[in-house]
Amino acid sequence: MPEPNVPVPAPEAPPPAAAGPAPAPPQPALPPCGPDEVALLIDGRPVVAKKGTTVLQAAGTIGVVVPHYCYHPGLSVAGNCRMCLVEIEKVPKLQIGCATQVAQGMVVKTTTDRVKDTREGIMEFLLINHPLDCPICDQAGECRLQQYSAEYGKGRSRFVEEKIHHDKRVPIGARVTFDGERCIKCTRCVRFCDEVSRTGELTLVDRGGHAIIDTFPGMALDNAYSGNTVDICPVGALTWKPFRFAARVWFLKNVPSVCGACARGCSVDLATYQNRVHRITPRHNPEVNGWWMCDFGRQTYAPVQDMPRLARPIVRPAPGGAGGPGGTAGGGAAPSMGEAIDQAAAILRAAATRHGAGALAALVSARLTLEEMHLAKKALAAAGIARLVVPPHEEGQDDDLLIRKDRTPNGRGAGLLGLGAPDAAAVAALAADVAARKVRGLVILGEDPAGDGLIRAEALRTLDALVVVDWRASATVEAAHVALPSCGYGESEGVYVNCTGHAQRTRAAVRPGGLAVPVWSILREIGRRFGLGGAHSSAPAIFDDIAATVPAFAGMSYRALGEAGAPVKGA
Amino acid sequence: MAYEKLLTRNIHRDNSHTIDVYLANGGYQALRRVLKEVSPERMLEEVKTSGLRGRGGAGFPAGVKWSFLPKTRDKPRYLCVNADESEPGTFKDRLLIEKDPHLVLEGIILSAYAIDCHTAFFYIRGEFHRGYRVFQKAIDEAYARGFLGRNILGSGYSLDVLTYRGAGAYICGEETALLESLEGKRGLPRLKPPFPAIVGLYGCPTIINNVETLANVPYIAERGAAWFAGIGRPKNTGPKLFCLSGHVKRPGVYEAPLGIPFMELLNEHAGGMLHPDRPLKAAVPGGSSMKVLPAPRCDVLLDFDSLAAAGTSLGSAGGMVMDSSTCMVGALLNLAEFYAHESCGQCTPCREGTGWFVKILRRLEMGEGRPEDPDLLLDVARRVEGNTICPFGEAVAWPVSSYVTEFRSEFDDHATRKACPFGAASVR
Repeated sequence: MPEPNVPVPAPEAPPPAAAGPAPAPPQPALPPCGPDEVALLIDGRPVVAKKGTTVLQAAGTIGVVVPHYCYHPGLSVAGNCRMCLVEIEKVPKLQIGCATQVAQGMVVKTTTDRVKDTREGIMEFLLINHPLDCPICDQAGECRLQQYSAEYGKGRSRFVEEKIHHDKRVPIGARVTFDGERCIKCTRCVRFCDEVSRTGELTLVDRGGHAIIDTFPGMALDNAYSGNTVDICPVGALTWKPFRFAARVWFLKNVPSVCGACARGCSVDLATYQNRVHRITPRHNPEVNGWWMCDFGRQTYAPVQDMPRLARPIVRPAPGGAGGPGGTAGGGAAPSMGEAIDQAAAILRAAATRHGAGALAALVSARLTLEEMHLAKKALAAAGIARLVVPPHEEGQDDDLLIRKDRTPNGRGAGLLGLGAPDAAAVAALAADVAARKVRGLVILGEDPAGDGLIRAEALRTLDALVVVDWRASATVEAAHVALPSCGYGESEGVYVNCTGHAQRTRAAVRPGGLAVPVWSILREIGRRFGLGGAHSSAPAIFDDIAATVPAFAGMSYRALGEAGAPVKGA
Repeated sequence: MAYEKLLTRNIHRDNSHTIDVYLANGGYQALRRVLKEVSPERMLEEVKTSGLRGRGGAGFPAGVKWSFLPKTRDKPRYLCVNADESEPGTFKDRLLIEKDPHLVLEGIILSAYAIDCHTAFFYIRGEFHRGYRVFQKAIDEAYARGFLGRNILGSGYSLDVLTYRGAGAYICGEETALLESLEGKRGLPRLKPPFPAIVGLYGCPTIINNVETLANVPYIAERGAAWFAGIGRPKNTGPKLFCLSGHVKRPGVYEAPLGIPFMELLNEHAGGMLHPDRPLKAAVPGGSSMKVLPAPRCDVLLDFDSLAAAGTSLGSAGGMVMDSSTCMVGALLNLAEFYAHESCGQCTPCREGTGWFVKILRRLEMGEGRPEDPDLLLDVARRVEGNTICPFGEAVAWPVSSYVTEFRSEFDDHATRKACPFGAASVR
């Protein structure tokens, strides 16, 4: 007969000893584990970990932080900093947590006096020859030496002699500067160049206290991923030239976003201060970029801040005399956004009336977000524009790490939305039709075909209607009848779909310049001039409209994309 | 009964380094017999039974080390001969390499045979120019006479021996740094585990043995494990080369059974103290990396276990003798400078600790010491010891802690008097 299914009472705790020495506290029983797992105790807490896991990793799963410098989850184990030494029962010497694999029944202690004393010792060793120039160090505020000094530092030094000196501003690469005195020789940078970029520029030279990181003769730290060595440098030895002395990191606000430099769409953080982006660093995303990003992508923000902006709407007289009052070129009052959009609708309508809707076309950038592309499709359809062309932007070759030759972040998204994938032949055909005056009205969203040499500016000037939406004061904008200022990279939010079909959210990190507004809001207003309905009140709302109406995105939600993004099922 | 010299049997013969002299004195006979009559397993067993312990410093039983090789044979196995003899005061392997290279080579072939390995690397210290030339010539002779190469002496067993010259780093004598250097990389010790017997040279199972260790193997093959085990003391078997340097009349390499009293080595072999009026002050029987013994405790037997019981180690048997004129602060400073120069710089405690020792000791010796300096030395040594990747940490922490502990008053004197009582003669 089966036992009744009732909870079994927990065994009673042993009664406290009445007198005499207190018995050792009983160790908790090890939990059961699967065939590929082991059970162990870390600081008295039971942990189940996969075989092959290191003590440091297993401790991390229960929130026990084992301090370390040289260990990095994206690199091989070097075991040289010795900061992660922990006590393991029945092992006489302390063991490094980064290299010691877990074993069944292992008893690990990370908080004993012996461990703490050793950490204090390692900190003292690391600091005796460290310049302690924290006030002027770019790493200050995100420095492991500072962090562990707070936790394990003595507060005063027993070292009274002259420190070892090294060069403090070595131009070790085109974009990276090396400070030999701050270096703690953890070799993360060396291992990165050996194992990840596989360019092998760096090594340790000289010995003992004089050991120092250097490039091999004739080499420079100039690989396409050199900036990652700066990110993983736990101290201020490697600094990113554009960020040197640019901002104190404790004033920076990191906004999780996506790099717009190529079709990989690396997860990044945009670090902002006083409405400027000061640097872009990779954000760990195992589905996209792991721990890394390329140097090119780190500078995506710079043009938006450094190039001349299209700050206010521009309205110039169209050849047909269609539309309302004269433009800014005439010296009259500057038009408002609403007036400029009215004018854009008017000249497009006039061109369609005169030449037929077939004489209208649009150039849509694959750098737009999904939401912007979606509204482009809707608004342009409302205006009767059926011919949408997406220009490709390719450079170099795909490499075997992250970089794609497709330099647009959302070409895949354009294809999935039905705009058509980026297509050079379609651009050439459009250029020919503009030159042949078959196309008489053109809407350009986020592209500069005149500047890029795709369509000659003279040809653009022959159009009856040229409406340009962009953040730049580009050569194409110069030819426009109506130019509408939009947000640039980092100024608005939305979704990119990368080359593997992974959708991720970009976020607005800084306020847009001038009167710029998100592209989708401009398109919504243009669409409304042509009778387009729907609230389309925000990027999330538009994304939900995409999920509801475009089968490839069925079931997705903006909110659920979170910071890691999600694969597009239809991709 | 007079002790029969084995390892140094040939060294005084004319042209002892040539194969003809070696053959004329019974050389390669053991190899001939073993290849014909003894299986590799039996040969390995014989070395295990002999109790032969590694002569490089750690004293680990050679046969046991060999048996750590994995049973699977999916990768080649390598034998690496550690001829990177660099410990200050140790110069025994150099003698064997230069004076009796064929004894070493026969030991290499027999050992490689025992572990079923077909490629052996002879990693020789870069400064050993003569030793390198002599040994390379010995290898060439052995190939020419059929003792090396394919199908040795018609046995079907093949072995190649390749020499590789180090570039002068002490750390490359540490077995895993040696492997890195042999692979053409910077000589940095590896993390263990994995141990070289499992993952060694080029990721393959590898045995690393000291020159002198292997030089014993022909005798074990020739006369048997039991005979070998009868030399020396229990668990400390066989003949041993002892180096002695410092304030002795006849510094040099002396062969004796393991377990010979240190005082006998000093007084009878090395002729006693250099100056009759300057008595023994201290000695490091095992070599510079080992703990120092003050004179009253120097009455010890020279073998692995006796010296461990005495609080020091046999190490590589590079004994150093210091008389009453020695400033222990200066002597330690001299050693510390060596270790600071030779620390590979890889791991934090050794890289930073070695340089710090030098700075503290130099201040003490130059009269700029502080009363807290001796305790500081002890505390830094305590934090280096046991916390490094390789034994280099101990190799510097042991001398520092033992010199300060055993001669504390001398260190305190330096600090309080703000001067070296011996005149700071040893400071460059």
